[in-house]
Amino acid sequence: MLAKLSFRNAKRQAKDYTIYFITIVLAVALMFSFHSIAVSEDIENLSQMMNYFSKTILVISMIIMVVMAWLINYTMKFMLEKRSKEFGTYQILGIEKKDISNIFTLENLIIGVFAFFVGIAGGTLLYQVFTSIIMKIFGQPYEIAIEFKIEAVGITAMYFFGIFLLVLWNNRRKIKKTKVYDLLYADKQNENNKIKNPKGNLFLFVISLVLLVCAYGINAKEFQDPNTMSGRNIMLAVLLLIVGIYLFYFSLSSFIVKRYLEKPKRKYRKDNLFLYRNLTSKINTMSLTMGTIAMLFTFIFIGGNVALLLNQLLNNEIDMGYPFEVMVSSEEEDLSKYQTYIEENSDVTDIYQYKLYQVPETGVYHALDGTSFEGRYEEGMDSVIGLSDYNRLREILGLEKVSLQSNEAIIQCMKTTETYFEAYRKQNQRMEIRGETLTIKEVKGDNFGQIYFNGYTYCLVVSDDLFNQIAEKNEQGDSEIGLQYKMIAQTKETTSEDFYNGLFDLIPTRIVKKTVEVNGEREEYEMEIYLGDVSTRGKRESETKSFFTIISFLAFYIALICMMAATTLLAIQQLSDSEKYKYRYQTLKKIGMDELATNQIILKQLLIYFGLPILLPLFLSIPITLSVANIFQIAVTLLEIWKIIGMTTGFVLLVYMIYFIATDIQFERNVNGE
Amino acid sequence: MKKILRVEQIQKYYGNKENLTKAIDGISFEVEEGEFIGIMGASGSGKTTLLNCISTIDHVSSGHIFLEDRDITEIKEEEIAKFRRENLGFIFQDFNLLDTLTIEENIALILTINRMPEEEIEKKTKEIARKLGISDILNKYPYQVSGGQKQRCACGRAIVHSPKLILADEPTGSLDSKSARQLLEIMEQMNRVMQTTILMVTHDPLSASYCSKILFLKDGKIFNKIEKGDSTNLEFYNEILDVLALLGGDIRGC
Repeated sequence: MLAKLSFRNAKRQAKDYTIYFITIVLAVALMFSFHSIAVSEDIENLSQMMNYFSKTILVISMIIMVVMAWLINYTMKFMLEKRSKEFGTYQILGIEKKDISNIFTLENLIIGVFAFFVGIAGGTLLYQVFTSIIMKIFGQPYEIAIEFKIEAVGITAMYFFGIFLLVLWNNRRKIKKTKVYDLLYADKQNENNKIKNPKGNLFLFVISLVLLVCAYGINAKEFQDPNTMSGRNIMLAVLLLIVGIYLFYFSLSSFIVKRYLEKPKRKYRKDNLFLYRNLTSKINTMSLTMGTIAMLFTFIFIGGNVALLLNQLLNNEIDMGYPFEVMVSSEEEDLSKYQTYIEENSDVTDIYQYKLYQVPETGVYHALDGTSFEGRYEEGMDSVIGLSDYNRLREILGLEKVSLQSNEAIIQCMKTTETYFEAYRKQNQRMEIRGETLTIKEVKGDNFGQIYFNGYTYCLVVSDDLFNQIAEKNEQGDSEIGLQYKMIAQTKETTSEDFYNGLFDLIPTRIVKKTVEVNGEREEYEMEIYLGDVSTRGKRESETKSFFTIISFLAFYIALICMMAATTLLAIQQLSDSEKYKYRYQTLKKIGMDELATNQIILKQLLIYFGLPILLPLFLSIPITLSVANIFQIAVTLLEIWKIIGMTTGFVLLVYMIYFIATDIQFERNVNGE
Repeated sequence: MKKILRVEQIQKYYGNKENLTKAIDGISFEVEEGEFIGIMGASGSGKTTLLNCISTIDHVSSGHIFLEDRDITEIKEEEIAKFRRENLGFIFQDFNLLDTLTIEENIALILTINRMPEEEIEKKTKEIARKLGISDILNKYPYQVSGGQKQRCACGRAIVHSPKLILADEPTGSLDSKSARQLLEIMEQMNRVMQTTILMVTHDPLSASYCSKILFLKDGKIFNKIEKGDSTNLEFYNEILDVLALLGGDIRGC
């Protein structure tokens, strides 16, 4: 009988917890699909790196369960609070506390088990989607087939019920400990909404802003130069950030009181009075939640941005550094064995051999002084390429040819350094190579394989006449001029990892004897030196793909669940308040506020509650991302950085909006409906 | 004197064909400006339904209610709230003060809803608080003051926007006798000094004795009507008791 009664009551209140239920189902679905990926052999076999993916998923799931535990515990607390009168009445009727807590446990178990199975069903579908995306990234064929990973169910069940039962047990204990009086009058207890020491709080508010600015400052300074970055200082910045965020929300109410509720002029304007009083009355209890949510969002924003930046960096690096499928560098003139191997093992469309000379520095590298590229030029040497070789390479890359007078030169550089070299050209107009003064005709930022292949970050293009002069001097034994033999090839299809390994084995080595002094004794050792270098786009791409998949999937997994948990919590808190403080809105309506205006007030109120915990993270994350992005600027342009910030922010706001709208609709229903 | 409220043959039915309840069964009466009218009756006599119909919270099944010359049964749904906040003031039994607002702000709330200029709101609120003797507790929150003070604040909220008619639903219902007496004296003063028209629903004879005219309801009909005239509160109180005895006697007679 009691079970029936209680179950009916639970059903009646179910509508308030729809959002909670959906979030749990989605969380289980996401977890299950990722666990399925973790145990999937197909995915593990894709590449060596994907092995780490599986292990990382299981670790991340633990973090996720902590967040979920927080959400479940919070929701159960709300459920208990809301049903306190009902449970109190049962106790007055003489029903034992033990039976009541049993009922509560049973109801929640039913919800949990139900959510789990719906989640597993949804997760099976999600797993198909994720697997097909991953397979597509790796260019593997994949047929959708309903596959059910029983191990994954086991792992998910273990994680989920482990946490769920723990939280449930904790709440069960709470019921047993409360007294009847507290249950019956739980909703009558007034929160002490007086702000203690408003002046001190205002001081704290200023301090919190100072802390946040300091956190940003330290962070910006550390990321200025990756070579001198100190982990300790970054930890300090993170710590300052967390303390600053919590302090901000703890002292925010005083700021609002000062801003909106002190002067009658502002206080009595439009709906300010009702709105801000509602807010400040709750913010003492809300500040902890808001602070936590804001902290989560700050890390989601920054983490998401950094993950995407990393992907962009790797992709750009491929475009910039590997415009040719095969690139061979050698100290020996004879490259025929490479050529034979390449022609035999791939479907070559173009193959070309040329020379690159190294001349003592021309001073062009000063263009990079004070940028994040400083110190990256090759020790005192600048690479020089002849015009006809350059044009032939451009032709292979599908770029238009360039022309050059004998007293002119072109700076060919990485896209990300183009502006620096352009500024240098405008300022200096000329440069000097081996005594010849040349006019810098233009700066080219096309992708030209300039990460240790055609020079590092840049090379100089000179007329064939000058190039031949340099070659002559080199042949005459000018020790200041260096020479590298280069070969590039383009193929129809992307080459495999095995192709690369075979190519790598062709590089001749020389054993060099070296001596070092250890504790005053001279020790001799042998070192194997490679007389050349090979790289392929195919090999680099497969490495990048694994990395891309791991980073982006894991970032998505953790960000989405944390976000859903945080937002659900906010929604539940608001909805439970909408029931608890229904009379406030009904009083407004009785004394003459129409439904439209009431709904507007509700919308405004929710905008404040949902807006506050996300505005600060937004404001914080953009400058912080920009400062972190500093170290990515080697291969990522500013425009791309802004695009990434836009994407992360857009995605988070979209999910947030969905929850916001759902909450608003339910809130209005609760207040307006009888 | 100017007629402020005219109720004409109103009826209010609940339920369906098989099981029809007539909450109000053909009631007509008139209220003149500056009157303090009381409505008495046992539970289920229809007094709260009548109040709800006049306050536009509920709709009549038939008949008309005129406030001044406007038929409030014909006001469009979207205009009702506006009509209510501009013309009516409410005093509820359980105060219905918002616990997030101070006493001053509770009074000012209705003015902000009416979008009165901010400077005037403060002036007006302070003035009403002075008249009601609650100037010294303006910065306190409802849970920090006594029941009587809360109810006076509720009066302030009902009157601050100078409504044409104040509707009070068992205003002394949750007050001790001393606070109730203080509140009634204030309502009487509001009625006499500020010429406010008040319509009060009550079942307490003592409260009713402060009124200038009383309607007794029974089974949705007007059972009796008495006027105070020149009699004192005590004489009027006894008169009320007589009518109530008659009402009760009739019930026993059924």
